[in-house]
Amino acid sequence: MDDEDLGLGRFSDPALFVLVSLAGGQKHGYAMMEDIEETCGARPGPGTLYGAIARLERRGLVEPLASEERRRPYRLTAAGASALERRLRELEGLAHAGLGRLATA
Amino acid sequence: MNRLVGWLVRLYPRAWRGRYEDEFVAMLEQGPVSIRDLFDVALGAVDAWLRPQVLYEGRLVMVARMRSSVLAVLWAWSGLVVAGVGFRKMTEYDDFVQAARDDMLVGVGFDAVVVGAVVALAAVAVGGVPVAYAALRKGLAEGRKDVPLLLCMPPLFGAGFVGYVLVLVNIIYPALGRIAVHSTVNVALFLSLVGAFLLAALASAWAVTAAVGRVEVGGRILRFALYPAAVATAAMVVVLVGTTVWDLGLLAQAPALFSGDEGLLATPAYATWLVIVVVMAVSTAIAVVASIRGLRARRSGHASSPL
Repeated sequence: MDDEDLGLGRFSDPALFVLVSLAGGQKHGYAMMEDIEETCGARPGPGTLYGAIARLERRGLVEPLASEERRRPYRLTAAGASALERRLRELEGLAHAGLGRLATA
Repeated sequence: MNRLVGWLVRLYPRAWRGRYEDEFVAMLEQGPVSIRDLFDVALGAVDAWLRPQVLYEGRLVMVARMRSSVLAVLWAWSGLVVAGVGFRKMTEYDDFVQAARDDMLVGVGFDAVVVGAVVALAAVAVGGVPVAYAALRKGLAEGRKDVPLLLCMPPLFGAGFVGYVLVLVNIIYPALGRIAVHSTVNVALFLSLVGAFLLAALASAWAVTAAVGRVEVGGRILRFALYPAAVATAAMVVVLVGTTVWDLGLLAQAPALFSGDEGLLATPAYATWLVIVVVMAVSTAIAVVASIRGLRARRSGHASSPL
């Protein structure tokens, strides 16, 4: 997931968290916030969360489902799953390289 | 707290609210909202304006552009009014009045400012009243109390300011007797007057902007309003040019006067003039850009279809 191409700016981390959250199944906003807090250790603010959702939806990486009592769940699209996997592989490579260098330092 | 959140959500652009407001508010209602969340919602609104992810489609883009152009001209005109009042206050001193009589250039510059100001005021009234009336009708039809309340604010703020001036002139200054121009009391009173005027002007512009932004004002009315807005913009250019000509004439005829302490609160005249002309130039530039943008939107195919 190339932040420059996607133009996510400061929303790249929240957007990644949203994608990771939705990789575990469809969720509405509040469930996403709780899941992200549990998974990533930081709870995104409501404005930040919806800023990320709006960006991801516009880029076709997530899609809204029918509302359930005003709460609208979202799910990952195929493009979203692919972008998430690519990004996680990049991070995995980065983590591997960093840990390797720390081990030899 | 929930009330505050509801108010903050209204800060988001209309297109964003149309798409996300229901689910966003439903999410906020599910749990406690902290102060940090409030800041985050406010920052989210700023972001939604600066980097809109939800866009109006087709002709709605044109209507939105026309509305924002008309409102931008209103804000720009408010800025010009603030600067213009400062110019009027400065030029009421006897030396400046005499200079306008003695020198043709200074006199022409001053007259241009007056004529431009009157034309701009008339144009804003001609374009603004139908827009405000349409917003009022729409607001009442939708059973909204906020729109008529917002539209009542400009006359209330105006009346409040006039009332404050009357209190100053008829009660406070007579009670103080003769005070020096640079005395703390006089400076404080003058600054309070400037503050009251700025507050009235900015709050009035905000109230009209908020009222017009909360209901759908028809494209036809906005298309009409763009013409008076363009006239007001042209008049603002005349005011700016007039102020510059006045300055050049004064520099040629009486440079000592220009560099003397005839500015507001006995400050150097050139400093007062510089602040005034900068505010006027910025306001005029905003109005020119907004008018061009609005007229382009008006001419586009989408805007020409009846709405």
